Amino acid sequence: MEELIKEIKKNIIEVLNLEDLTPEDIENDAPLFGEGLGLDSIDALELIVMMEKEYGIKLKNPAEGKEIFKSINVMAQYISDHRTK
Amino acid sequence: MGEPILVTGMGIVSAIGLDCAETLQSLQAGKTGIGALRYLKTIHQEFPVGEVQLSTDEMARRLNIPDGQPRTRTSLMGMMALDQALRHAQLSDADRSKAIFVSGTTVGGMDMSEQFYMDFLHNDLHNDYISQHDCGACTESIADHFGPFASVSTLSTACSSAANAIINGANAIREGSCEIAVVGGSECLTKIHLNGFNSLMILDQEQCRPFDETRAGLNLGEGAAFLVIESEASALRRGVSPIAVLEGYGNACDAYHQTASSPDGEGAFLSMKQALADAGLTPADIDYVNAHGTGTLNNDVSESQAMFRLFGPKVPPVSSTKSFTGHTTSASGSIEAVICILALQEQFLPLNLGWKHQMPDGITPVTDLHPSRPLKHVLCNSFGFGGNDSSLVFGLTTEQSVAGGSSSLATTKSPVSKPLFITSAAQISIQRGLSEEWMDSPILYDEPYVRSLDIDYKQWLSPAESRRMGKLLKRALVTSLSAMQQSGVEHPDAVITGTGLGCMENTEIMLMHLWAEGEQNCKPTPFMQSTHNTISSLVSIHTHSHGYNATYAHKGASFDCALEDAWLQMQLGRINVVLVGGQDEMTPNYFGMLCKTGALGNPSQIAGETAVSLMLSADSTPDAMCKLTYFKRCYCPTPDVLSHIAAEIGDVDAVMTSVSGSTALSSESLLEASRLFPDTPLMQFKNIFGESFTAYGLGVYATANILQKQRYPETMLIPGFRHPSECRRILVLNQVDGKDYTFTLLESL
Repeated sequence: MEELIKEIKKNIIEVLNLEDLTPEDIENDAPLFGEGLGLDSIDALELIVMMEKEYGIKLKNPAEGKEIFKSINVMAQYISDHRTK
Repeated sequence: MGEPILVTGMGIVSAIGLDCAETLQSLQAGKTGIGALRYLKTIHQEFPVGEVQLSTDEMARRLNIPDGQPRTRTSLMGMMALDQALRHAQLSDADRSKAIFVSGTTVGGMDMSEQFYMDFLHNDLHNDYISQHDCGACTESIADHFGPFASVSTLSTACSSAANAIINGANAIREGSCEIAVVGGSECLTKIHLNGFNSLMILDQEQCRPFDETRAGLNLGEGAAFLVIESEASALRRGVSPIAVLEGYGNACDAYHQTASSPDGEGAFLSMKQALADAGLTPADIDYVNAHGTGTLNNDVSESQAMFRLFGPKVPPVSSTKSFTGHTTSASGSIEAVICILALQEQFLPLNLGWKHQMPDGITPVTDLHPSRPLKHVLCNSFGFGGNDSSLVFGLTTEQSVAGGSSSLATTKSPVSKPLFITSAAQISIQRGLSEEWMDSPILYDEPYVRSLDIDYKQWLSPAESRRMGKLLKRALVTSLSAMQQSGVEHPDAVITGTGLGCMENTEIMLMHLWAEGEQNCKPTPFMQSTHNTISSLVSIHTHSHGYNATYAHKGASFDCALEDAWLQMQLGRINVVLVGGQDEMTPNYFGMLCKTGALGNPSQIAGETAVSLMLSADSTPDAMCKLTYFKRCYCPTPDVLSHIAAEIGDVDAVMTSVSGSTALSSESLLEASRLFPDTPLMQFKNIFGESFTAYGLGVYATANILQKQRYPETMLIPGFRHPSECRRILVLNQVDGKDYTFTLLESL
């Protein structure tokens, strides 16, 4: 899981162009949207593309993203449960 | 309240018919045009679409376009609709040559570019299509099929493009700069669009259900529609009867988000409210609303809220005819305008197909074709990405509105224009940005291609704000903020932007993605930023400016169109403080492509990049730079027309020309400028600022500075000409492809 968490953070920084951040800056249980990292709906869509491309997870409804992208921990758990690659 | 404008002709092509009669039949029969994909070659067969039921070749044959002549689907559909409109209005060639043509599109020639992009880059098989790619080229090919118009412009505000084209044409008639305008839009389906909307997850795999609780997104459509609109005086003189009246219109910016509408529908509310005020009507006068109604979760809630705010509990009958045509994006404004006029003429309520379940927070749409009271005034909404919201009000023509015309005819407008003032200006280009260093020590380049000299944007934008912005967006936003700061304006009445290509870097990311990875995992950010109006919207979103917002994408005259819009509306007194911008980037790939067409890469020509913002004010300010006292654009003018314009302008101290290196076109334009303004020094700015689609904005910027500071770098004077004896009146002259002219006269204060 540690390895996956690190990888997810690197992916997030890359696809969302968070140049000024390092994986260590992102807390595992802090909210990604709203407060915390301050991501928005377009970021959520970018993360959905990233989940499909990197882990073969296809979300049909953007609303599902709200639950999954709550924090890095929640995201990592979801990915390890559902990944197809 | 503004002067009503008559509609004297219209034409339409969409999934529900190839002309007005077929369209009417489908609407009254409740027959949708949305179905399985047939013509667009894509893997996404899961999405129903509203395609025009002809192949591109079939369209070309119907229009007698010779084989081998470059054609794009958007331009062909445009020609089909325009042909109907011109005939319907009985517009003679002479009438047409005095009419202006304003068309809206976002995809332009993308249907071909996405097929041939690799050829553009790597071989010479389809070079003909390189110059068909941009929106302005598409508009010109539609216009040129019928012969010259007095001027030609392209609006590109995403899904409200055609509505804004109608507004621009109406403003030109009200201002008196023309009597007839042919206005509308055209847009075909493309893979880029389908995949882009898919990446935003707003496409429904079922037939769309606008305003239904179970709605799950939109279905894309395609089509074109044009209206012929004119002044009462013109219709009387031509002896034609109007089919409807364009009673009023409004344009406001939601200033909320690039791809989502605000929860309270602020922009939509403001644009509808403005349209009613312009028409001199109250909400109770509206008998039908043709909603934007895309069928996305977001739009239909937001638009419903805006309607509740405007109409209170008594919302008039509302429907979204996107349930028939699909969402025809840039063409939807004029397609739905035609549908509104058909509804007025035939006195029926277009249905809202697929609606079954009431939204708790939404309006209840039309379910019965028969209106409970006569339709006299209808409202038509078109909203675009970036919150580019526009509303039109059409009314029935009555005997009175025409017969009464002779007494209420607007008297001839005063031939004297109000002077406007350029109160501040900023640029980021191949000269040092946010600086006037170029005036004393311009950087002179030997290379044929130079990128902008970027500044440190962190002083202006936080990393969180700028992380999704490409370079062009940063440059555009920072030059806008600088111009606003210098003139102390927090919320301009209008933000109007010209851009030939928009954020080309993002468009290329999408094109490359389609080739490298196919139609899988397309990303939303490049799509969102590839729409031309992203730039203008960003400025309004960032500065919370809800005023008028528009984007023009018309080749080398993109900035010119934006300035023209500002000029017209400021003359009319609709807006008083306006931010006008010209924004373009030049990617290495696009530079290479333009070299193949001969547009760039000529000796001594420098390809550059433009970000320029000017603040215009109807009133002078203590720090104003100069006056803008004359403005005119024309297309394929005869020598007589040019001489007439030169006579109107009179003597000038110098002409700032747009010559670009030592091309044949440049030497011709110098000869022409010498003929029109004999014994006048000719100057140039592109040897310092480079060539790009909106470089003319830098020419206006440079001239404003010269008039204010009363000096110029020696290298701006074209060799062989004397120095101007003084710098009081300088004409900034643009010529694009030797046929599209802009005359901007600036005077010192």
